[in-house]
This record gives sequence, structure tokens and C-alpha cells, in this order.
Amino acid sequence: MKRKIVGLLLAVTMTIGIFAGCGSTPEAPSSGAAADTEKADTEAAGSETEASSGSGEEAEGSGAEDLTALRGNTAPTEEEIQLVNTTLNDTYLGDVFSEVIPNNYSAYPWKEEVTLDVWMANNSILSSVCPDLNDHRVFNQLEELTGIKLNFIVPALGEETTEFNLMIASGELPDIIIGADRYVGGIAAGVNEGAYMDLTDVLDEYMPNYAAWRNSDEERRKTTITDEGVVGGVYGIAPYNEWCWFGLLIKQEALDKTGLPVPETIDELHDFLVACKEQGYDQPLNYGSTYGQIFTGIINGAYGVWDWMFVDDNGKAAWGPGQEKAKEYLATMQSWYEEGLLNTDWATADFNQRMAEAVSDDCAVMMDSPDTMWGYWKEDNDIDFVAALNPVLTKGEQSRQTYRNFKKTGSVAAVTTQCKNVEAACAFLDFAYTKKGWEVYNYGTYGDVHLIDENGLPYFFAEGLMYNDPEGQPVSNLIWKYRIHDGADIRDEHNSNPLITAEGSYSGDIRDYWTKNMDSTLTMPPVTFTPEEAAREGELGTILSTMRNEYFSKIIMGQLPVDAYDEFLANAKAQGMDEFIALWQAALDRYNAR
Amino acid sequence: MKIKTRQNTGLRQTVDFKTALRKDLKKNSFAYLLLVPVLLWYIVFCYAPMWGVLLAFKDYKPLLGFGDSQWVGLKHFKDFLSGPYFVRTVKNTFMLNIWGLAFGFTSPIILALLLNEIKAMRFKKVVQTITYMPHFISLVVICGMIHIFTQSGGILTQLVDAVTGTEHASLLGYSNMFRPIYTFSGIWQNIGWDSIIYLSAMSSIDPGLYEAAEIDGAGRFRKMWHVTLPQIRPTIIILFIFAVGGLMASGHEKIILLYNPLTYETGDVIASYVYRRGLQEASYSFATAVGLISSLVNFLLLWFTNRVSRKYSEISIF
Repeated sequence: MKRKIVGLLLAVTMTIGIFAGCGSTPEAPSSGAAADTEKADTEAAGSETEASSGSGEEAEGSGAEDLTALRGNTAPTEEEIQLVNTTLNDTYLGDVFSEVIPNNYSAYPWKEEVTLDVWMANNSILSSVCPDLNDHRVFNQLEELTGIKLNFIVPALGEETTEFNLMIASGELPDIIIGADRYVGGIAAGVNEGAYMDLTDVLDEYMPNYAAWRNSDEERRKTTITDEGVVGGVYGIAPYNEWCWFGLLIKQEALDKTGLPVPETIDELHDFLVACKEQGYDQPLNYGSTYGQIFTGIINGAYGVWDWMFVDDNGKAAWGPGQEKAKEYLATMQSWYEEGLLNTDWATADFNQRMAEAVSDDCAVMMDSPDTMWGYWKEDNDIDFVAALNPVLTKGEQSRQTYRNFKKTGSVAAVTTQCKNVEAACAFLDFAYTKKGWEVYNYGTYGDVHLIDENGLPYFFAEGLMYNDPEGQPVSNLIWKYRIHDGADIRDEHNSNPLITAEGSYSGDIRDYWTKNMDSTLTMPPVTFTPEEAAREGELGTILSTMRNEYFSKIIMGQLPVDAYDEFLANAKAQGMDEFIALWQAALDRYNAR
Repeated sequence: MKIKTRQNTGLRQTVDFKTALRKDLKKNSFAYLLLVPVLLWYIVFCYAPMWGVLLAFKDYKPLLGFGDSQWVGLKHFKDFLSGPYFVRTVKNTFMLNIWGLAFGFTSPIILALLLNEIKAMRFKKVVQTITYMPHFISLVVICGMIHIFTQSGGILTQLVDAVTGTEHASLLGYSNMFRPIYTFSGIWQNIGWDSIIYLSAMSSIDPGLYEAAEIDGAGRFRKMWHVTLPQIRPTIIILFIFAVGGLMASGHEKIILLYNPLTYETGDVIASYVYRRGLQEASYSFATAVGLISSLVNFLLLWFTNRVSRKYSEISIF
């Protein structure tokens, strides 16, 4: 009943809007802009005589007026802004990635009046900049461009999981769920248990852009399909592998004082730390983890003792803590701790303590994210820093790390089995994987939030709303307001996150440097488990991680001798280490066979 | 059931319970009406959800619903009981609670006894306010403070260094320190708050008893021992029974904020272990099974303590 009323109201506002036919600014309410869309469409089509529009088999953008002049234009006219924001003309956007983003707009504007119910969780930042998702400016623009109306169902803050599970349990599902991987057991379980639509067969017909984009690359294809070959979700897919975001960071002044170059090997790192200690850095290496290993394998990686599961050089699933050179690694760390090269309280310090140590004069080297340290070191304390690659054992060896997102990023959306209009739901989701969708999701509206540079890549200009919010909100909040920060779309984080592209910051450069210069082939891809496997994996995983955490931290702290590792390995084997690895191997085999 | 009532005539007469109830309902209908919300609350929130314990015997999947989820019998119980860390987590849960009983339960009583002796009202109020204070500070902040006090070079660490004569890294990194830190920080948090109930019990003691004791030549300590303590004994025993009933329970928040792999040996309790496991999979059934076991043990302990108490002190909660 409620839906009907909402739908009716929307229809009424639409009609009024069309009759009024008001010329409006880009910020105008949806009704006016919708009218504009139609007007502009007819104009665009008219100028090209018998152009594609209406017939629907060819992309509309390609036949429309050429707007390439907007590239590099810093002062577009009102009319141009209108044209960009309200039509499907995408000629001004460049092909900036290695794969061309599809632009099949034949489905838009949608052929009939439809309102879809979309379940999407809010978060504290998003709700502070946009209390009601139905008013989100990007979604409003998407509604206009696609001609598909949305009605958001938003769970209470902090109650997302509970409300999601209640919704699933109640059996009353909306049309689309964004963040569909909340389903216990993941997308595959959601499809198998009858909550989510199996989209495999309709993909090419209803979602031509998504189909083309996910098939544009082997990694994209593999990470967006279940082991059984079912496409159950619409995944956020990045145009590239996102940068590694964690590694070794060194204070520039420590390099200056010691006169040493950035260390490349474990031995060089050791000598550097000793030199730092002599220069008065009392606890030179902030060894940042409660159990002595970092997920990107900063020091342990040199010994092949990766943090957790990885794919070894033979393509087999392997468990880091059980590797051959583990004792060597532990012995090294134990002696470093004894020499006072690590921060004394590394095993117990919480985040605030670690950051307090980092900015103190005791610390020379951090293991952390350059984005975090940009804030704590550079912005707050004016400490410059440089990045080191993960050290290796012998000079010249390829540095390696285990972070890779396999181009899968953002959220997963699913069309539910109770969807009233599957075709429309698919069409709405599909729009995110068009060129225009990439622009709108990542960069918001044209003219007031972003402009287009010479290469046809959108950017946030200094006078734009992203840096001049009328409510004075910080950029870290605004990335949720003027664009979609976390959605099922082509997530262009490197170019469209102003926190990364911020002027003067070199944290993006560091991440780029790490990603380009370290080999990430050992990273375990996002495999999936069957529900039975998942239960066993969870059980064994908890036992093994408890064991590893305890033994490793005690050995490094010197509370246990290095030989205690043998006892650890024997215990791990007795508790099902091999079964655990076999579970991952099976999942990896299925993944590779996708 | 028969109830004996005494009629005005003085004759003893047995009246059927139903009749008596009906009569009473009529007579005191408004009093019963007041009872209804309370009863409803218990029915809706405490008794109705009880069938949910059956989840522990199933592999519950929300969409399949309760009926269609697979029945797995005792699988989750076996998983829990056969794990390598079962004994350790149970032991740690018990030990932390025993420490809590030994120190955390007695200290508010002692504080209340001491406060009761203070005659300067102003001073008493100041002490009370100061001891309440930590109760109102968020747990996360409390644990942040504990981290700072116990880090290498922190106030408490220096104190321990001075007493033992050896140098320590962060005290939270030693497994033999976890229980004292956990327990005594708990006392710091709650001593003032918990003493309120005893102070209120003491305020209702008849001053005549103290006068009588004084005449008999009792000093301060004697009065405390022979008058105050026996007078608040029922309060202490009732609270003790409840405390014992919570022996298997453990809040995981404070543990998770304070423990680390170095102190798993003494700090990893059932709740924190289940929490770590839950991070990897949302296993309703497993969590229910563990909760059920804990509740059963708690109930047995409560029942046992209650029985012992009824036998020896004639005070009991049921």
C-alpha cells in the first residue's frame, strides 16, 4: 500500500513537472530535470536527422552531438552543463583505461513507469551528509538518466545486520539489495537458498554493459561468478587492481641522520635500524601487529612465511605460518627485539599508543598505510617520509607482497527472487557499467562537482562543490555526498577519491610505487566455500590463528624459545592444518576452473 | 491446591484456590491490572523466545526459516566441547569470575563498612562521588587508560618494577598479570557504584542496636563485626547467590579490549573465543549452543548455591 502511494505521488510530480516544463538548473528537483531530459533528448536526436534514438539498437551517445570540445574546458556554458547532466551524450569522456568502458544506452530512458525498491545500508558518514538516501543527488541524477525510479529502504544505523537477516527471514524481499554479500554464506548461498535471482541466462540480454565489462578481463570474469558458474550478484568492478595500501615507511630525517640509503634487504634493514638506534631513535621499528606479522608480509614475506593463506609458486594453496623458513624468521625477529630495535610494547599497544609512538622521537620506521601516516606524520607533525619495498633476503631479488584486490571492489548488488520487474532492475544496475555511469557514480554532476580534463577524464576542480561545500563538511565526508563512494559500479578509486588525489599528498604515489614494484602473484584470490566447508574452515581457522598468534608473539617477545616453533607446528598438524589447507586448495581449484 | 483461610467467625475453613483467586481478583482487580504489563514483559521477552534454544540443534539458515533448517543434533555441542581450546577457555572464564568473587565482590562491602564509619558527611560524600565516577566512563576509555597505565614506563609498570626489582615491558603482555589487571581495574570501575546497595542496607539498621552494643562495651570494630555485618547479611547473601549464578558468564568487550595473543593463556574466555570465531562466519546455531551450555551451568550453580544458603542461613531467592 505504502509503495503504491509513493509511486502515485511520484507519478503526479512527474506529470506536473512535464506540464510546467520549467527550465531549471542542474540542482533542480527531479521533476523539472526529468522534463529537461526529454527535451534535450529530442534536440540531440533532431540534430542528427534519422539518428539512433527510439529504435534502440545503437548506443545513443555515439550518434549524438559531438561534445569533445568540453575536454579541458574549465568554463562550460549553462547549456553545455545541461547537456552533459541530462542526456546520455558521452562523447566528451575519454577512454582512459586499458579496457574501453562499454556504452550501450539502448535501454534508457526506460520504456515504462517503474519504481524499484532498493535495500541499501547507510553508515554514519553517509547519513551525516545525506539523511535520506531518496534525496541523494547522485541517485536522483541516475533516476533521471535511466528513467527508473528508486525507493530506498534503509535499515537503522548499527542495526544493518539484524535488519538484513530479519528481512531475509521474513521472506519479504525488495527488488534490489545493495550489499548483498551480507547473506550468510555469500552470494552463492543466496542464490542456492532462493533469495537472489540467478542472472546467468539473462545477463547478455538485460545487462549488456555489465556483461561486456566483466568479460573484458579474465580477473573480472573470474571474481564475479560462483564456483558453479552462476552469476548471482552484480559486483563493483574496478578498472584496475587497486593500489597496495600498507607497507614500510621511513622518516626522511632518519635517512638523513644515518646517511644510509633506503634499505632493500633484511640485513640492510637491520643495519639501518641499528644506525637509527645510535642516532637516538630508541625504538626504531614500530612493529605494528599484535602477533608479529602483517597481511602484506613486510618482513615475514622475505622468508616466505606469509601471514595466512597464499598461492605458492607452484600454484598450490599454502599456509604461511607453516613454511620452511619460519624458524629463521622468528629467530631474526626475536634477536631484533632483544637488541631493542622493535618498539617494546608492539604486542600490546592499541592504535592510539602506536600512533603516539610513531610521532615520538623514538620511532624511525613504521609499518602502516601511507594515507594514515600522511595525516599523523606530515599533516600533524610535518614529518616527511619515504616508502621502502618489502625487504628481501638477497640483494636484487624481486620484492613481493600479498595484497591484490583482483579488480573486485565496492559493493555487490543482487536482484531478488521477488523482484517485480527483473528487466528494469537489471537495466538500472547495468547503467553503472556504462561510460556515463562511470562518470556519474564516481564524479557526480558536471559543472558544479567535476569538470573534464584534456584526456576526457573527470576531475574535481578547486572551485567545485567537493572543496567548497555550502555546509562546510570535510572532504572525507563529501566523498559520500557528491559521488557514490561504495556501490556496485565501476569504482574508479584512484582518480575519483579526492583524499587520494589531494594536492601535495604523496601517499598515492607511494601506493602506486609499491604496487608497480612488488610482485603480488602470491595473493590468494577471493575463493568461495560451500556452507559446510565454510563452517569447518571457520572452526579450524580460529584454532590455527589462535595458535599462531600465541606462539609467534611469545617467541618474538622472548617468552618462548625459537624451538617452541616445532611444538607449534606439531600442534597445528594435530589440530587439522592439512585439512585446512586442503579446504583452501579445493576452493582454489574451483576458482581456477571458473 | 487448597488454601487455608481464617474467617471472621474464627472457624477454620478450606476454600478452593480458584474460588479464592476469583474473589481476590474481584476485590483487588486494579492491583492485578498493574501486574499485567510486568507479566506480559516476561512472557514476550523472556519466555516466548525460549523455543529459540532449539536453534542450537539445527543448522539455522534465516531464509529457510526455523522449520526447514537442517536438524544436526548435537553437532554444535560436539564442535565446542571437542575443540583444543575448550578446557582453557572454560577455565579462564571460571578463574576470572572466581577472582571477581574473591576481590570484586568483597571490596564494595569493605568500602561500605568504612564509609559507614565516617561521621564527616562532607568527606563521605566526596569519597563516594570519587568512587562512583569511573562507573560512568565508557569502557573503551577505561581500557585506553589501562593501556596507558600499564605500557612500558607507565605508572603501574613502574610500580611493579619497583616492587619486583625487574624491568617489565607492557604489563598486558604477561599472562600472569592479566587476571590481576582485569579484576582490579574492575574494582576501580565499580566499587563505588556497587557499595550503594550496602550503604542503603546499613542506613536502615536500628540505632538502638549500636547503643546496646556500646553499653556492653563494644568498640568500633566490635560494632562493625557484631551489628553492621549481621544486619546486612541478607543483602550480601542474595547478591552472592546472583554472583555465583554468573560464574560462567563473561562479557567479552573488556576482555577483547585488553587481551592479546601473549595473554590468551589466561585471558581467552569462552565469549572472546566465540567472538573471534564469529568474525569469520555468522553461525547462529553455534553461538546458541555455547550460550545454552553456559546458561545451564550457571543455572546449576545458582540452584546449588541457593540450596546451600537456604540450608545454612535460611536466606534464599527461591
